[in-house]
Amino acid sequence: MTITVPVISLVLGFLSAAPLFLAVGVNPVLAYRQVLGVFLDVDGLTESLTRGIPLLLASVGLCLPFKMNFWNIGAEGQLFMGAFGATAMVFLLPESSAFVLLGSMMIVGFIFGGIWGLVPGYLKARLEVNEVLSTLMLNFVAILWVDYLVYGPWRDPKGFGFPLTPMFPPNARLPWIPGTRIHAGLVVGLICAGLVYVFLARTKWGYELKVTGESRLAAKYAGINYLKLTLLVMFISGGLAGLAGMGLVSGIVLRLRHGISPGYGFSAIIIAWLARLNPLAAVPVSILFGGLLVAGDALQIGLGLAFATSLVFQALILLFVVGGDMLTRYKMALTWA
Amino acid sequence: MKEIVKKFPGVVANDHINFDLGAGEVHGLLGENGAGKTTLMNVLYGILRPEEGDIYIRGERVDIGSPREAISLGIGMVHQNFKLVEPHTVLENILLGLKEPAFLLNLKDAAERVLEISKRYELPVDPKARIWQLSMGERQRVEILKALYRGANILILDEPTSVLTPPETRELFRFITQMAAEGRSVVFITHKLDEVMAVSDRVTVLRAGRNVDTVDRQELDKTKLASMMVGREVLFTLQKNPIAAGEPVLEIDKLTVMGDKGLAAVKNLTLAIRKREILGIAGIAGNGQRELTEAIAGMRPVASGQIRLSGKEIGRESISRRIGGGIAYIPEDRVGVAAPQGLTVSQDLVLRRYREEPFSNGVFLNQHEIDSNADTLIKEFNIMVSGKDVPARTLSGGNLQKLILARELSGNPKLIVAAYPTRGLDVGATEYVRSLLLKQRDTGAALLMVSEDLEEILSLSDRIAVMYGGEIVGTFSASEANIEEIGLMMGGSLRKP
Amino acid sequence: MSLLAHTVQAGTPFVLGTIGEIYAERSGVLNLGVEGMMAMGALTAFMTSFYTGNLGLAIVFAMIAGGLLSLIHAFLSITMRANQIVSGLAITILGLGLSGFLGKPMIGMTAPRLGSFSIPILAEIPVVGPVLFSQDVLVYASILSALVLWFVLFKTRPGLNARSAGENPAMADSLGLNVYLIRYVCVLFGGVMAGLAGAYLSLMYTPLWIEGMTAGRGWIVIALTIFATWNPLRALLGAYLFGGVYALQFRLQAIGIGTQAPQFLIMLPYLTAIVGLVVISAEAVKRRIGVPAALGLPYVRGES
Repeated sequence: MTITVPVISLVLGFLSAAPLFLAVGVNPVLAYRQVLGVFLDVDGLTESLTRGIPLLLASVGLCLPFKMNFWNIGAEGQLFMGAFGATAMVFLLPESSAFVLLGSMMIVGFIFGGIWGLVPGYLKARLEVNEVLSTLMLNFVAILWVDYLVYGPWRDPKGFGFPLTPMFPPNARLPWIPGTRIHAGLVVGLICAGLVYVFLARTKWGYELKVTGESRLAAKYAGINYLKLTLLVMFISGGLAGLAGMGLVSGIVLRLRHGISPGYGFSAIIIAWLARLNPLAAVPVSILFGGLLVAGDALQIGLGLAFATSLVFQALILLFVVGGDMLTRYKMALTWA
Repeated sequence: MKEIVKKFPGVVANDHINFDLGAGEVHGLLGENGAGKTTLMNVLYGILRPEEGDIYIRGERVDIGSPREAISLGIGMVHQNFKLVEPHTVLENILLGLKEPAFLLNLKDAAERVLEISKRYELPVDPKARIWQLSMGERQRVEILKALYRGANILILDEPTSVLTPPETRELFRFITQMAAEGRSVVFITHKLDEVMAVSDRVTVLRAGRNVDTVDRQELDKTKLASMMVGREVLFTLQKNPIAAGEPVLEIDKLTVMGDKGLAAVKNLTLAIRKREILGIAGIAGNGQRELTEAIAGMRPVASGQIRLSGKEIGRESISRRIGGGIAYIPEDRVGVAAPQGLTVSQDLVLRRYREEPFSNGVFLNQHEIDSNADTLIKEFNIMVSGKDVPARTLSGGNLQKLILARELSGNPKLIVAAYPTRGLDVGATEYVRSLLLKQRDTGAALLMVSEDLEEILSLSDRIAVMYGGEIVGTFSASEANIEEIGLMMGGSLRKP
Repeated sequence: MSLLAHTVQAGTPFVLGTIGEIYAERSGVLNLGVEGMMAMGALTAFMTSFYTGNLGLAIVFAMIAGGLLSLIHAFLSITMRANQIVSGLAITILGLGLSGFLGKPMIGMTAPRLGSFSIPILAEIPVVGPVLFSQDVLVYASILSALVLWFVLFKTRPGLNARSAGENPAMADSLGLNVYLIRYVCVLFGGVMAGLAGAYLSLMYTPLWIEGMTAGRGWIVIALTIFATWNPLRALLGAYLFGGVYALQFRLQAIGIGTQAPQFLIMLPYLTAIVGLVVISAEAVKRRIGVPAALGLPYVRGES
């Protein structure tokens, strides 16, 4: 029951896009065929995995604050800050060995993203500042900050004026599977999914998250320190999003540029919700969404549709899943009544 | 009201109650908490529907299905918890829910009418003031005005003086007398003896959902009323071993704690509890007991004064430290706070103790230990569950309380703070809970128990303290206890230092 | 065009959007979908104007578009009692996605725009005149709406009922008010106004269609709702304050300040929002004029 409903909702949401294709004069069947084609094709699958890596890292991170009802909408900004931190390392230590450089990029990326998450966490825990708004606003600030760097001091002088940094040297590139673009970030992501799963299921903080998610008053009764918990969780969540950013600049794009993330941070929110905040479930869902992004590309090239198409898919799927969720809850309440 | 029967799951709140009210009469409705007074009036006001019984207004049988219908019949009620929207103005609250005016709130006309009523009854109020700015006494005036604006000539007041200062109380009585003089009727629900005697023409005493008696003004006698209210039935006596109490475990020194409504709920309170001693706090709920227990547990901040546990000041310690120091807390609110409903039984069984060995080593939880703890406690405390991994929301009230007790009592606590531990439990569970508490005392704990059940207090406590108005109005050992005196103290009429 | 006049124009979408959101939140429903509704309103208005040239129709269709999206949110939040944050976010992503998806063919194109006209006499008032009274119809409409809707919210029964539904729905219900209906109406109103705000962006503020026209304004609307303490008149002030920030940003760039790093200027609105939130949060704890008490909580009769 707990799987069939979301799966049906997923399919329904997916299919509900059909009338929209018609509206722009595209045959829906062609569109769907293109999308499915992504998953039936080796290249399509590997690309889905590649695109899924930042999604996986960010959504795994989001499972933590969401569990305690802390609405971290700032994964996108935390991602950008991580990308920024990683790039800064490249500028600072361009001659180091790959091991040192990549290692420091990961650490700094994590820390910068984590700090970006700490700020709204502190504001909420201490001042009850609405975290939806604070994390959201910080997204814009982070994105603009990166823009400043890539349009300004960090711009590639040989880049024809485009807002991007020079290409990273080979020692700043994450190892990858030859023939594909799948990079080591996948391993990191899978490890993190496992770690966060263990964190939630086996550590005392995971327990504290569950209790706080039930009720802040019950958490107080249990002796839980809301401030400490929020700071810890937001640091990790922001850090993982930061790692996602690091993976983007170091594994795929190989430089920092304007629009380094086309909304991965927001898709991650949907993925975390669809995965019901289970980091292990986030793995297949991230790959699925990665596939949707690839499909979005294909639709753009093949049928002239906007890239925003994948956003539409994602939103429709989410809406149907939310609706489906509520239906099951209603039915359950009725059977108990 | 004839032969009114109102049932709730597990309890008969009104058991064939008869009540009548004359024109221009002030009728006091007296009883302890749970006696059924508010329930009866909620039936009259249309909030509840009785299973049996009839209501007659001016000789005609009526069926009151909702407060709206009650209002149209001229019945108004001022509840204990004011039904006011805080950010709105007085005028807006009075106008809320009326059919007229339909669109444009003719604030000027309405304000005039309100001021007219307010002047007539000497209930000064500023129509433009916002509720959150008003004192409790002023808010009550708004509630009264609300009823009068809708033309009430039967006014029900539920525990009206619980939030008033003495001068405000006198004002209220003056108003009640004025209402009666005009030919309107007032029902005055209370547990306070002095007041009910000061203002009533007749007093009806309820106990455990039944009529005890109705007494006329001339025959009112404080001691008689007190014993009627409290009764002399003793359900069962537990075997209590006389044990010598040890050194003090909890010392409270001139404690003041603020309540939710901005007033001090606990005022300059001093008491001490010793090892192997049960201190029972008697008193009608709402006199500061909840706030006292919350302050000791750490859920509510201390405004001034000291709380010492075995000599160490803990008034500003975090809750986790207090848990570590050996304080067990069984709060009034079982469902939301003490046993989160979405967690499993075994998770709830370690709610306050998950930090300790062997349940966690500082980072990881030891699921094996948590599971075996759950198994042990479920068996030991006879908690009826289908399994330890079911969500807590599936437990019945009694079993939920057993869960909470199992958790709190199994850690060998030094001090146990229990608020209304047997409320809502059936006879079997109640007896079990009480025997558990006694066992804890025998093995060396100090217990603070707040209860509305005098039998419980009398049979379990070594010492008893009665709380009224945020203060302790009497302390004595259980052997010295005198039921009439206790009744008087609970009603605020007697003080024994 | 003077800085002040520009401020008014920049502030108008905020005025419109915030008033709508105020009503929705006053009734107790948190609507995070404003950004998406604005985007769809902008697109709908633009497309209608492009294909028909009829500006009135464009405005109406934009309002309908916003309303339809808000209907989904209302259904999920009120009837289905879903988590209002997730539902709102979903609508925003949907709205942004749809506007990008359907708007792709229009990128870079222009459509007939709203013209301004002066109100006689009033426009002659020195300083204030040209700023306030030589604008387009939506500016006038927005100022008027703020005034009218402030009146309705505080001085009429429907407004009183809406506020009560958001403060104490259980009490409102017991007094005979239909809390569900009130919330639906308020959320719908919020969506319609958000759509209208979006229409202003595409019909007046920006000369051509680009993707991402809303640039986070919908989110600022939500922040503004808090700054305005849910009061339409204060919303006017706050909206123009932010309008001023946008106008200033534009001016400074035109003069040449900050051309080295325009991003910091662009950041201003968002940073202002955060600072404002911090200030307000500290205040709100002290003052009790604050959040509608039942905001974000689904109402179920019988649960209290």
